[in-house]
Amino acid sequence: MRRYFQVFTVTLKEYFAYRLNFVLWRFRMILSTRVTLFLWMGVFDSRSAFGSYSKERLLSYLLFSSLVTTFISSSRISNLAYEIQSGGIMNLLLKPLSIFGYYAATDAADKLMNIFFGIIEFIIIVFSFKIPLVPPQQVGWFLVFLCSGVCISFSINLMLSFIGFWTPDVWAPRFLFMMLVTFVSGAYFPLDLLPSIVYRIFLFTPFPYLYFMPTKILVDGIQNTYFIQQLICSLGWAIGLFFLARFLWKKGIKNFSFWGR
Amino acid sequence: MKHNFTIFWLFAKNSMRTTTQGRIGIVVFSLGKIARFAFMFFLLFFIFRGTRILKGYTFQEAALFYMIFNLIDTISQVLFREVYRFRSLVVSGSLDTILLKPYHPFLRILLGGVDVLDVVLLIPYSLITIAVAIQGHVALTHFVPFLILFLNALWIATSFHILVLALGILTTEVDHTILIYRDMTSLGRFPMAIYKEPIKSFFTFVIPIGIMTSFPPQALLGVLSPSGFFISLAISALLFYSVMKLWNFSLKRYQSWGG
Repeated sequence: MRRYFQVFTVTLKEYFAYRLNFVLWRFRMILSTRVTLFLWMGVFDSRSAFGSYSKERLLSYLLFSSLVTTFISSSRISNLAYEIQSGGIMNLLLKPLSIFGYYAATDAADKLMNIFFGIIEFIIIVFSFKIPLVPPQQVGWFLVFLCSGVCISFSINLMLSFIGFWTPDVWAPRFLFMMLVTFVSGAYFPLDLLPSIVYRIFLFTPFPYLYFMPTKILVDGIQNTYFIQQLICSLGWAIGLFFLARFLWKKGIKNFSFWGR
Repeated sequence: MKHNFTIFWLFAKNSMRTTTQGRIGIVVFSLGKIARFAFMFFLLFFIFRGTRILKGYTFQEAALFYMIFNLIDTISQVLFREVYRFRSLVVSGSLDTILLKPYHPFLRILLGGVDVLDVVLLIPYSLITIAVAIQGHVALTHFVPFLILFLNALWIATSFHILVLALGILTTEVDHTILIYRDMTSLGRFPMAIYKEPIKSFFTFVIPIGIMTSFPPQALLGVLSPSGFFISLAISALLFYSVMKLWNFSLKRYQSWGG
């Protein structure tokens, strides 16, 4: 455990070594998440509600969602694809560390840094634009879904990087995946605003459990209608995808060969 | 001029050959871009659901803004893709070899990586734009000011990319700055009038994203004032002048790191 803690602290120190890089990254995050917020604020200039959402609830959803997105999506696993392609992964394999544990430690440092600055930015935005917020609901269940979302994101990110074992085209699938995730995970609007049948189909996929479900619980609390189904699906996807990632890792590493290092 | 065009064409052909090496990558990347386009169009449709007019614009008019944004954004992606690869030239010292060549360095570092994938996407984007414009009953008399402002938008995009190159030399940071530019331009997917103050004014006059993406469709719809037309040209000229000054300054500060 101490080794992974060392990885965690080294990753944190890296951030302080590349300060400009980090500042620019946070600036990007502020811009990309706030564009959606500004758009919806404009929409609410001429109306007080959108579908079943009041202005207060929808803006709260978008702001809490930006925090959840910051926490869940911050990850360093995309580097792994490059490590596989360049053969750099051999350096990791020689260390007395598990790849999964190593990337969990780097991700934890990444998430800590991003959520720390994310919260500061959140407070600045709320106060400077005087955005009305609903008080957070059922924080306990929120944390359950948040952890589940982190696990789902971790496994999916690993699997996207493992593509590097079989093809050099690793960035294109990641790009396509990110495009899909951004829209079907509820980063732009709450998914329950979609037609009921579409929403219910989405609930069987892992995507709503990344950003939508944790945020929805924070804004509205538990909705009894599909709660058990949502809980089972969320935990099921988290566990299932983890085992699938482990399976792909074992398959990939058996395939892996590299020359010249 | 002919000499420059020959070199540009040579780089474009090389870039096309490189891009077409990874066939699976081409298909998946194109799918990603089409998905992004379709999802954003859906978001626009979704926002206009249940409301006929938003900040004075109908759905057709907002769709026209979105399509013209896509055209401007895609053309600048086609032309300036090489900027995304600029950092490695700076940190490895390979920029030296480009600066020594008997042609303007922009031919290589700005225009040297024409993106063939985006060229393909321009065809459906153009057809959809024409269809939306016809549906919106756009007057033909507005076409000339629109065309001038469309070219002006590409000029602004050029200035922004030169700014990224200059900052790349000064700070060796390119990846984030180019993506910050992309994130800022994404505000222009929708009419600037939708956004509240001070965001609207800041992203129109301080960082001229609004002039780049909102003024051309406004001209096409005939709602742009003559003063707005001339101010936009003046701001573009000022921006270009400033970034060229910065570029020359950065070249003077450039030190070869490796080589």
